[in-house]
Amino acid sequence: MKKNLEIIWIILIILTVFAYLLGYLNYIDSALVGILLLTTFIKGALVIEHFMGLKDVELKYRIVPTVWLGFVLSAISFAYYF
Amino acid sequence: MSSNTSIKEKYPAGDFAVWIIIYIELITFAMLFLGYAFSRRADVELFNQSQLMLNQTSGFINTIILITSSYFVAKAVEVVKNMDEDNYKEFNKKASKWLIFALMCGATFLIVKITEFSHIFGEGINLSTNKFFMFYLLLTGFHFMHVMLGSIILFNIFMKTRKFGYTPTDTIGIESGASYWHMVDLLWIVLFPLIYIIR
Repeated sequence: MKKNLEIIWIILIILTVFAYLLGYLNYIDSALVGILLLTTFIKGALVIEHFMGLKDVELKYRIVPTVWLGFVLSAISFAYYF
Repeated sequence: MSSNTSIKEKYPAGDFAVWIIIYIELITFAMLFLGYAFSRRADVELFNQSQLMLNQTSGFINTIILITSSYFVAKAVEVVKNMDEDNYKEFNKKASKWLIFALMCGATFLIVKITEFSHIFGEGINLSTNKFFMFYLLLTGFHFMHVMLGSIILFNIFMKTRKFGYTPTDTIGIESGASYWHMVDLLWIVLFPLIYIIR
């Protein structure tokens, strides 16, 4: 529990390096955009839950930024794929 | 951040007014993100060509910086939430150390962004160059202002910790400022892949 924030930070850094390498090495294609957006959702959810501390708050407040994140990334996916 | 994870807090950490501001900011940025995504859909070639002029590495560095600053701020909040009447001065001091690292990250973000902006403006690019750069400048410029405001808020929180201003019964200021700073981080987490990576 003590090292919780450290673990979250490491995961965020790893996912950011993954996103950067996709772009930098020009590996980005339509399939990987979906994975990239999924990893973006995971990153955002980790910030919301652990850094903002909403994991310890009642669901009605906890859910708002997560729904926002899911909606925005879904709409970006829709604009990209359809 | 309750020690008993089965008992949920009724309200999010910090002043509720800050959360209203956070929700409004999230809606505002969502409209810009969707404006970008659907405008790109209408002219994919223009957006892909224009995106080549951006420096992905500076976007990447700034993402690492903001995530790390958010971690430092979360550590500062963790420290003040664990203090009691006997050790609050020592814990204020500990929190101030985390905050100074976060402030350094904020300043570095702004320097990297100013360097990127000066390169873009040096190329003669402005809001009316094309739709891609209109969204790029609006989104990153608007976000830049939020980082500036967040840094000012963090600086004030830092000064209060230096004066041992937070006590076991008064941590609302640092929690409010931290929530705002994490929102700034959250917005960049969406902005980075959308503007710099996806093509």
